[in-house]
Amino acid sequence: LTGDRKNRYRIAIDIGGTFTDVVVSDGGEMHVGKGVTRRERAFPAILEGLEAAEPPLPVGASQCLAAADLITYGTTRAVNAIVEGRTARTAFFTTAGFPDTLLLREGGKRGRFTQIEYGDPYVPRYLTFEIEERVDADGTVFRPLEEASVLDAIERVGAAECDAVGVCLIWSVVNPRHELRIGELLEEGLPGVPYTLSHRLNPIVREYRRASATVIDASLKRLMQAHLRQLEQDVRAAGFEGQLLVTTSFGGSWPAEEAIERPIYSVGSGPSMAPRAGIAYAKAELGLEDREANLLVCDTGGTTFDVSLVREGEIQQAAETWIGNRSTGHITGTRSVHVESIGAGGGSIAWIDAGDLLRVGPSSAGADPGPACYGRGGSEPTVTDAAVALGHLDPGRFLGGRIRLDAARAREALAAKVAAPLGLDLDAAAEAVMVVATTQIVGAIREITIAQGIDPREMVLVAGGGAAGINAVPIARELGCERILLPRTAGAFSAVGALYAELISEFAATSYAETRSFDRAAVNDVLDLLTAEAERFLARLDGLATSDAGVQFSVDARYPGQVWDIPVPLPTPRFERGDDVEALERAFHAAHRRRFAVEEPGRHVECLTWKARAVASPVRSQLASPPIDARREPVVQSAYFPQFGRASVPVVDGASLAPGRRIAGPAIVSEPTTTVVLYPSSTATAGRHGSYLIEVGSGGRR
Amino acid sequence: MSVVADRKLDPILLAVLSNRFETIVREMENTLLRTGRSAVLNVSRDFSCAVVTADSRLLSAGDGLPVHVIGMDRLARNVFALHDDVREGDAFLDNDPYLGNTHPADHTILVPVFVGGRHLFTAVAKAHQADCGNSEPTTYMPAARDVYEEGALIFSGLRVQRDRDNDEDVIRMCRRRIRVPDQWYGDYLATLGAARIGEARIVELCERYGIDRVEAFVEEWFDYSERRIVEAIQSLPAGELEGVGSHDPVPGAPEGIPVKVKIGVDPAAARIRLDLTDNVDCVPSGFNQSETCAINNAMTGVFNSIGGDVPQNAGSFRRIDVELRENCVVGIPRFPHSCSVATTNVADRLVMVVQKAFADAWDGYGRAEGASGMGPGSAVISGRDRRHSDEPYINQKIAGCQGGPAGPEVDGWVTYQNAVTAGLMFRDSVEIDEQKYPIRIAEVRIRPDSEGAGRRRGAPGARIGFGPRFDSLIAHYIIDGYRFLPRGVRGGLDGTRSEARKALADGREIELPPISEEEVRPGETLIQHTSGGGGYGDPLEREPERVRDDVLRGFVSFARAREVYGVRFVREAIEAGLAVEESATATLRARLRAARE
Repeated sequence: LTGDRKNRYRIAIDIGGTFTDVVVSDGGEMHVGKGVTRRERAFPAILEGLEAAEPPLPVGASQCLAAADLITYGTTRAVNAIVEGRTARTAFFTTAGFPDTLLLREGGKRGRFTQIEYGDPYVPRYLTFEIEERVDADGTVFRPLEEASVLDAIERVGAAECDAVGVCLIWSVVNPRHELRIGELLEEGLPGVPYTLSHRLNPIVREYRRASATVIDASLKRLMQAHLRQLEQDVRAAGFEGQLLVTTSFGGSWPAEEAIERPIYSVGSGPSMAPRAGIAYAKAELGLEDREANLLVCDTGGTTFDVSLVREGEIQQAAETWIGNRSTGHITGTRSVHVESIGAGGGSIAWIDAGDLLRVGPSSAGADPGPACYGRGGSEPTVTDAAVALGHLDPGRFLGGRIRLDAARAREALAAKVAAPLGLDLDAAAEAVMVVATTQIVGAIREITIAQGIDPREMVLVAGGGAAGINAVPIARELGCERILLPRTAGAFSAVGALYAELISEFAATSYAETRSFDRAAVNDVLDLLTAEAERFLARLDGLATSDAGVQFSVDARYPGQVWDIPVPLPTPRFERGDDVEALERAFHAAHRRRFAVEEPGRHVECLTWKARAVASPVRSQLASPPIDARREPVVQSAYFPQFGRASVPVVDGASLAPGRRIAGPAIVSEPTTTVVLYPSSTATAGRHGSYLIEVGSGGRR
Repeated sequence: MSVVADRKLDPILLAVLSNRFETIVREMENTLLRTGRSAVLNVSRDFSCAVVTADSRLLSAGDGLPVHVIGMDRLARNVFALHDDVREGDAFLDNDPYLGNTHPADHTILVPVFVGGRHLFTAVAKAHQADCGNSEPTTYMPAARDVYEEGALIFSGLRVQRDRDNDEDVIRMCRRRIRVPDQWYGDYLATLGAARIGEARIVELCERYGIDRVEAFVEEWFDYSERRIVEAIQSLPAGELEGVGSHDPVPGAPEGIPVKVKIGVDPAAARIRLDLTDNVDCVPSGFNQSETCAINNAMTGVFNSIGGDVPQNAGSFRRIDVELRENCVVGIPRFPHSCSVATTNVADRLVMVVQKAFADAWDGYGRAEGASGMGPGSAVISGRDRRHSDEPYINQKIAGCQGGPAGPEVDGWVTYQNAVTAGLMFRDSVEIDEQKYPIRIAEVRIRPDSEGAGRRRGAPGARIGFGPRFDSLIAHYIIDGYRFLPRGVRGGLDGTRSEARKALADGREIELPPISEEEVRPGETLIQHTSGGGGYGDPLEREPERVRDDVLRGFVSFARAREVYGVRFVREAIEAGLAVEESATATLRARLRAARE
């Protein structure tokens, strides 16, 4: 680093429902602070976070902003607006004959014999308008667009005082002419009203997913525009002169203008940053190359345990993300970082069912009243209460001392609601709660790993989030992972990830092709178009990106008859020769075998959606070494471990551990935003960049 | 009941292992969904997976369909009784409705799981085929007088793999006799793959926890499940109930097929007895229930009535007795009567007659009846695809939806389809269907005022239309709910009638027979108006705000809101501010009540 750049700051912000995490990197140190989220404006919480940063910033908040060259901003605002029903009143334009696409969804109710309420569509039926037109599967126009039906719909949209319009026509992904014309008519008839055309936003086959993405996007445009413009104004007024980036569900970031243009990609952007943080720590602490990074990234909060995967340096993506429950909520329809959310966080409630089986969740005590040990009126025992009863949390230093835990209340709740009905003593009951929660988490992880052909035993578990350290060791043991990486900044995991987010944008076009009768020229035309779009994105980055910017191509492909495609990277960026097509076929067979354990060599492959992903890295900052305060002495606390019993174990202050120091379990390492519970025969080593590397050992099993 | 007494296993392991078995079944399901080739598997998800103990008791059933999972146990028992040389590496193929399978279109793969040289479990995967070699291009043969006219290849516990190698003779036979053989073979691989994945995971699990502990778990899990159902039955009133209903007229039964059940609910003994013996003999058409279907559909009606949270396995099954008789349409089929349509239609009626009997007896229990049958909206379509050098195609297409019944607390589920699948199946995407098959779907829309009104209403039905893009196609369908409607309960109204129609090339729309193999020519559209589900309770007791929401949803018209629900609005205009006029509503409701007397 040159002397000039040394004082430049990079700031990452993650706005959650309750707290706002702020992380500042000055190239040497990482400062982490929290502020209280305000509903209307992001800026006050950011200022609070900067002022409360640990270790404290050498300059004031506004000097820091003035001296920063980059802010990466992530927010749950879009999701919250949807959940709370505060999005724009949005109209839906659909092909005549299909007014109920958003209502009917894709079926797939859960629960054979239980009745549940059916979910309302994202756009009510009375704001849905049928457009007289129809395009066929091959793009030919079966029924030309009747503009009168569009004009009529536009008039009624105006009368109903809608603030946004989503347009999704059948087969617009193959022939977008009608959608484009409707776009023109909207510009003329409803100037200034934001609208989204499905083929531009998310050109995938399957009308429900595309329509859902389209109307959600349209409904967020005005809101996110106002929100981001306000934020930009606020930080500029404070003297910030650098670039403002916004995180996306892709696991990357892009300039604020892009986020205003396609706000649906900010849905789920917070959790999508966790694997980014995981990669940054794994590379720094374990010295892994990108290709060697096979990570299971956990992010544990109060109500959920989120898991995402990194495979050979690539963050695993998913096509199915739901807002609300599967089949009663709304699918986002966009490809995003695959984050599996399990209802087994610290606040999940333990209960005994009518057959005397111990269950954990899905009910959660949340943050209010919270677990019984918070002493705020909660009386149901939670996972956190079990950890307190087992002596695995230090009541005085939980969340940096922000909440003083009441161990007696935790024990009371467990005794009454778990131990007594099961006829167990208190320690066994608390252990049972931990084991059941762990089992649920392990089951969900097995589903997203083994079911995808991924062996969790080859992965490093990265434990992020304030509550991850409580059961990271048993989870890893149960999965067969040998190593855990637990960052000290686990409590602000998504914000740390945002600091390392790459600038990513994805462009897609649907053009059906079969490898047995491959029209190279037609596919190359599509790829050229995508290349041009990707390069335009990179050009707009305004010097932010480093020189390693590039474009990666892939195609969603399948065997004949299959309908669930899998993404396959293109071996070549264009198809110049017949060999190139064969190489694609081979790549598909291999990808299919990896995922499903079978392949069908000799069978041709169907190609559906072609994708270009533009990726550029912002200038990277280094993970710094934290200061050591060796004067802090360990204290001793009584704790219980399975097959070991109760014993006095040391509670070590993390700030006292110099890099390379080893702590052998049973022990507890306490950090301001997280706690590391070391089970017997596991050991933790302090890393150079403020993480713990845990060898889980055998734990008496296996 | 003693609850905590004589526990052999620690309570933690009980929770852990039950979860692990469910995870295994879900992994099997995921494999089948992602690798299946026909739309009925990879889109509609018409398949189920399960783990059964070596002595053939159902242990774990994941998200399987009601009609598939209960009875996997009976099938396994019958198949293994045929072989005394079962060993590791074997796989069995069965679709024999006289041997414990559901109907011949459900090909089931059973893989015995050996651990330490012992057969401990069986991994089972059952998948509805796009074709099963019937004499006509459909997997449901309503008019088949017997199994010979039906024509399906029937496999009775056939060993299809030994040492993990296919019996290629059988594969060749299937390739000759099943339409679109590549599609069948791809689906066979997917089903086999699912069972093999289950096998591998169960072996790992036993190695991890030890056979003794896993076996102890199994018994405890059954005991636990039994405790759960005991608790549920004890919360019911005592009584002898009787349920009567009828399927529409069909070939071989011109007045319809009556379905009768006697139900004994005994909370003191914590048992439920279902007597199906007072039903007519087998009919000379495809509508006979297989033994497994008769049992599982009657039991589904019970589970629908006692709460879905009770685990469904051999433990809870101990408390339900089903009495059947031989040569009975809802009993034990006498060979060679056909069971081609055993999983829908009469099956749907059986589920619903049981749940309706509970509702008729006691307010707050049971459910109304929902839609049933396999009309044009879920027809099996076949033809040739000129986009791919005239390759033949065949598949059951599930693009529409049929309305679900109301329960005491909850309105009907919109994409219910029928009682035996209960909304669990997926709906086809219009675009995926049109990409896979040379068809054009003209419309899928909710049919207003088709719901069975009630305090809780049934879900509305829909109007679905489709036709060929280029060359004629054949559609096989079997409507039910044309003559005998989905009935409401406790003052709730019936759902509307299900109808088949066709829009001709000249624009006229004609009505078609409820059961048909219909040629649909280019320019024509085959249409179904599907039934809504029946209502539960008096529609005049429905909260006016719920009626308002239904009006805004397009489910209920203003006229129906007034006339059937007795709800008046300040202004009858579809807009966000639509408001109930409370005093006018109270007056109207009082008048409608008085008019009834």
